[in-house]
Amino acid sequence: MKIKQNKAAFVEFIKVNKIYPPDVIALRDVSFAVKPGEMIFLTGRSGAGKTTLLKLICALECPTKGLVEVAGHDLGKISQRELQLLRQKIGMAYQDFKLLPKLTVYQNIAMPMEVSFTPNKTIIDRINYLLDLLNLNGKKDIKTDKLSRGEQQRVALARAAANYPPLLLADEPTGNLDHENAKLVIKLFDQLNRAGTTLIIATHDHSLYENHQAQTLELSQGQLVFKNPDTPKSVAVPGE
Amino acid sequence: MTLITVSLSVLIFSFFSLIFLNLKQAGAQLGENIRLIIYLDHEIPLAVQPQYIKKIQSFNKVEKIVFKSRDAALAHLSKQLGQDSDVLADLNSDFLPPSIEVYPAKDLESLSRIKQFSDFLTTLPGAQKVQYGREWIERLGYFTQLIKLIVLLSGGLLVLTATFMVSSTIRLTVVSRNNELEILRILGASKSYIQLPLIIEGFLQGILGSAIGLLCMHFLFSYVKSRFTGPGLLSIIHFSFLPTPITAAILLISIFLCTFGSIISIRKFLNL
Repeated sequence: MKIKQNKAAFVEFIKVNKIYPPDVIALRDVSFAVKPGEMIFLTGRSGAGKTTLLKLICALECPTKGLVEVAGHDLGKISQRELQLLRQKIGMAYQDFKLLPKLTVYQNIAMPMEVSFTPNKTIIDRINYLLDLLNLNGKKDIKTDKLSRGEQQRVALARAAANYPPLLLADEPTGNLDHENAKLVIKLFDQLNRAGTTLIIATHDHSLYENHQAQTLELSQGQLVFKNPDTPKSVAVPGE
Repeated sequence: MTLITVSLSVLIFSFFSLIFLNLKQAGAQLGENIRLIIYLDHEIPLAVQPQYIKKIQSFNKVEKIVFKSRDAALAHLSKQLGQDSDVLADLNSDFLPPSIEVYPAKDLESLSRIKQFSDFLTTLPGAQKVQYGREWIERLGYFTQLIKLIVLLSGGLLVLTATFMVSSTIRLTVVSRNNELEILRILGASKSYIQLPLIIEGFLQGILGSAIGLLCMHFLFSYVKSRFTGPGLLSIIHFSFLPTPITAAILLISIFLCTFGSIISIRKFLNL
């Protein structure tokens, strides 16, 4: 089956393979497209390839084979300057948080906004809003290495969402959160999605997506599995 | 640590430069009073003196030539002895030889030319000996050359040291801030956003380090000058601090080297 590129897609994978040396196959012939403004849950067990897929989207890894396109840019051919600008449009909340432990909550969340030269007042307002939304009031001036894992996770999410990114990627965003805080996170995602942000959320927590109207993509041993082929495919496989 | 290294490097280099420049200046000042004295076995008659003048000037232009008779030499000695001049009363008036005092032009200051001139003057008819303070001029010349060599060598070594130290410091900064720099890169920070603070750090180390080094040198110089210059031999020499162009050059070179060291480190260890 020939795969045609989907010009309307915001994120597109075409027959992407990722093999880690010496012979660890993380992704195998993965093809899908995500339209602008969509919210997708990327599901699968641990080791299925979810994190690898997210890393390919923000060009932290390169595919062994295949094409990855984000916002019209072929990540295999993108220049350094274009990649730098693209990354400012992608908010990523990592599974291992990637916070700077010696900086405060405020300083960590402010980083993506400072990098894109956002005015100071906007930074302050935005951070205050996110801290309130994610139940982190009073933690603004605390260094992140003093926070619990659940708090660190919420700070990571706040940093990912801080710059109103057109694309937000979240890797296990509720892994360390209780039910109440997990609901706050979903609330943030829904808010962002209503505002037009495209979201791809990797999770193996089925309670997050089973009652949510967003579509799901399931990865199993590096391959995409469509659980229910009759489900309306707004998550298109290119060429279909 | 780098700041201290840069300051010390500048201090050491400017110390040797100061010595070299002042020695050169001292040599020039003393050289202004250089004269060659040709001791003769007989007095030169007035009619023959122009021929001597012509022959002397055939080597090189001179500022002044003074013919001193025996009587004039005795009178000069008596004046120098002052109150003790009565010791000359019992001596023959002709015990001092006649002489010709030659004051060379300023362009004859280098040691080798004075030596050559001296050698030439010994060939004059009646010349027994030519005196010009050869030994101390030679010593001053060798010492000046030695200091010049030390300045060049130390300068070269200190340049390498300062550049290496700044480069190492920035490398350590890059390594210690690797996580932060990596996250900035992931968040889409531009190359200049990441590199500029590190380059500025190198620049500031250069400017502060060299300023501190030069200030310390200035205080040291002022202290030594106030303690050791006074009546005596050193009073005839005017010691001065490094001229402004040289001070500015040391400052600019330090800034350049530190910034350059920083850029090398960034290029090498920051994989952007």
